[in-house]
Amino acid sequence: MDLLLQALLNGILIGGILICLTIGFQLTFGVLHVIDFAVGGWVMLGGYAAYWASQLLGLDPFISIFLVFALFVAVGCAVGPLIYHVRTSRYARPDLMALAFTFGLFIMMRGGALWLWSFDSRSVDSWLSGHSLSLGPVTVPLLRLSAFAMALLLAVGLFVLLYRSRFGLAVRAVAQNRDHAGLMGVDVKRISAYVYGLYTGITASAGVLLATIYSVNPEVGVRYTLFAFFVAVLAGLGSVGGVLVAGLLLGLVESLVGTYVGTRYSLLVVFATLYLVLLVSPKGILQRGI
Amino acid sequence: MVSKRPRRSLLPVVAVVAGAAALAALPAFIDPYSLRIATGVLMWAGLACAWNIVGGYAGYISFGHSAFFGIGAYVTGILMQREVGLAFAATLPLGVLVAVAIAAAIGGPTLRLRGAYFAIATWAFAEMLMQLATVLDVTGGTGGLSLPAYLNEFFFFYVMLGVAAVVYVGAWFLLERTRFGYRLKALRDHEPAAEALGIHTTRVKVQAFALSAGITSLFGSIYAYWVTFIDPRSVMGPEITDQMVVMVLLGGLGTVWGPALGATVLWLTNRYIWSSFGDTVVYLPILGLLIALIVLFLPNGLISLLPGGRRGGGVLGRLWRKL
Amino acid sequence: MHAADDRDATNRAPLAAAGLVKRFGGVTAVAGVDLEVASGEVVGVIGPNGSGKSTLFNLIAGMLPLDEGRVWLDGREVTGLPAWRIARAGLARTFQIPSLFDNISVRDNLLAAAVEGDWKRAPQRADEVLALLEIGHVADNLASELSGGQQKLLEFGRVCMRDPRVVLLDEATAGVHPNIRRIMLEAIRRLREQGVTFLVIEHDMEMVREICDRIVVMDEGRIVVEGSFAAIADNVEVQRAYLGRQR
Repeated sequence: MDLLLQALLNGILIGGILICLTIGFQLTFGVLHVIDFAVGGWVMLGGYAAYWASQLLGLDPFISIFLVFALFVAVGCAVGPLIYHVRTSRYARPDLMALAFTFGLFIMMRGGALWLWSFDSRSVDSWLSGHSLSLGPVTVPLLRLSAFAMALLLAVGLFVLLYRSRFGLAVRAVAQNRDHAGLMGVDVKRISAYVYGLYTGITASAGVLLATIYSVNPEVGVRYTLFAFFVAVLAGLGSVGGVLVAGLLLGLVESLVGTYVGTRYSLLVVFATLYLVLLVSPKGILQRGI
Repeated sequence: MVSKRPRRSLLPVVAVVAGAAALAALPAFIDPYSLRIATGVLMWAGLACAWNIVGGYAGYISFGHSAFFGIGAYVTGILMQREVGLAFAATLPLGVLVAVAIAAAIGGPTLRLRGAYFAIATWAFAEMLMQLATVLDVTGGTGGLSLPAYLNEFFFFYVMLGVAAVVYVGAWFLLERTRFGYRLKALRDHEPAAEALGIHTTRVKVQAFALSAGITSLFGSIYAYWVTFIDPRSVMGPEITDQMVVMVLLGGLGTVWGPALGATVLWLTNRYIWSSFGDTVVYLPILGLLIALIVLFLPNGLISLLPGGRRGGGVLGRLWRKL
Repeated sequence: MHAADDRDATNRAPLAAAGLVKRFGGVTAVAGVDLEVASGEVVGVIGPNGSGKSTLFNLIAGMLPLDEGRVWLDGREVTGLPAWRIARAGLARTFQIPSLFDNISVRDNLLAAAVEGDWKRAPQRADEVLALLEIGHVADNLASELSGGQQKLLEFGRVCMRDPRVVLLDEATAGVHPNIRRIMLEAIRRLREQGVTFLVIEHDMEMVREICDRIVVMDEGRIVVEGSFAAIADNVEVQRAYLGRQR
């Protein structure tokens, strides 16, 4: 029973970060109509950024996360227009070409990381590491709790931005109908670039948290791309709200499989579930609009 | 068939046969190391052609073809273990059969998904199989499998050459000369319209997927025997799919000969980098950069730069015709 | 005149439909349509936007699942069959938005239309259709390179390649050059002489007057009136449904 409680708690705490990891991805799909294969790459690069900030500048990841966010917003705003260009091009299949483009980005990130930093795992230390709270039968590592809180803060921040600002209104207008928004004077291209920047910023921040809890190496990207796809598909592609439920669900599934079946089976189970969910209900289990 | 026009000639068959005959003399002139590279070019050309049947002609981008490569490799690897002791040649059709059966079984439900959904599903399927290979006993898990060694580079060169030549002639005939090719191109360009013309699109898609899987598996089998050691990463890893995709994009999506061109250029680049830098890791960012650059600047592939690039089939002619 | 009233006629007519219903969520797009088209007849379907015309076509062609109702082609029931089966049973259609095979040539588009038919004679037929529709000079161009009117012609050409019994035309001449319209009309006339039956959605009243033997007016998913062009033009209900809403 205690084991179950602990597994459930761990699942929820990680689930919060998975929400943060997927929410920008969903927004990007809603606005740019692009499935970003590189999502795990941004997570990984965020992790490395936190690592170097800690090594070179001695910054705690809970401080450097803000710098990482800003840095990756800038990077994303630079990359975004390229993706927008491909997606709105007159190629025979712009959707597939955009997919291939992000696929290329992802290989570039993973290969670049392997080349520069080799296969070694790097861990990022925070002053919260090693402390924990005891709540009756379960222990709550402070680090995970704080990371969970930070992730939710970012997610809530994104929601506020989307639903309480003029920028958010423009974003939602573009997501509803690109052409109409354009006709009404919204600069679709610029909005798309900002959205992509926002997405890379928030996704890299999730990477900082994940690197602090686990560690980071060039191969983690594939895993997180899978997680993002999993949450997104479960929630219904492009649905921002559904992510809240689907993220927690994945956190719980992973934690329970890891506790009761064995960690080496967890990826197998997650991949298999993703495949089956796609076959059975491609539009997502928790359909809802943006 | 549709006569009267020169492009309906048998020229491509003659070219492939002549090319294969010329290549057959190659081992007499080059050192063993170069011969291995040439064998690799032939294998990748065949794999790229297989991927192109689904990706370029049916218009369904598969990110999971490494699964079928791995299926072929493992069927051959397992059946050639001492306890089973099958001959290499006997494992080939079995590998193809298994891959075709699996592709046909998953093809129906998976090919109902469009565009990105299909890409994600095939990717998840391939990763799932790779994870399965790491936890199963029969595959040797992460420890891998050793095959009986047959150290005859000539043998593998000629096998790859023969299979690749047959694959290309077959693909050219099937895709550019038969109803099957028209059915595929029709559903690629407009699936509802294809159905409105009486084309049973689901069946055609599954046929193409199974055919592509069978060819991929065949090369996986030969590869396993060639390298004599396989593990989940080396025969089911995402890099295999990555390379197939890049080669086809680089050469020209939806053309018969583009994939051969792309495979040759990319594999030679790969080997050159490998021999100059000593490891293949730097190859990955270059591969990624290449994909991005092709998408941005050369969406119709290298073949669109050649005279007559239109002939292959279509997606590509525009650039050439503009020049 | 209603199909449901006369079983025998239903069983012999090239196209018959009874009680077709289609709902999207809470909206009923097609609310019980009965229809029967005789051999060689050209029936026009008119009505304001959103009156269910295109949905009706999609139901007949099997591209949308029916909620209720039955469809017969040549007396053979095709209710619930997939689109490709209904196509093979003798139905051909065009789409409101041109839906060509963009990345293959004009000639190949025509050949692709014959893959499930007489493939041996397809090249010869393609040449005939190219000549009939006067698009021979662009036969080797990609379909995506054609002008809007030529695209409409090519889409009609694919229909011609199939030797259909029944043809559904969804705004085949909307917004095209008069010259292209003339070619199209001539082609329709020829097919009709061979006994081909047409059901056409058309906004262009000139065109409707010229080719349609009979007209059905749809509004809010139902057939409100049917009759000859002259009868329809004077009908008060039509003016209310059609003209009153879409001016």
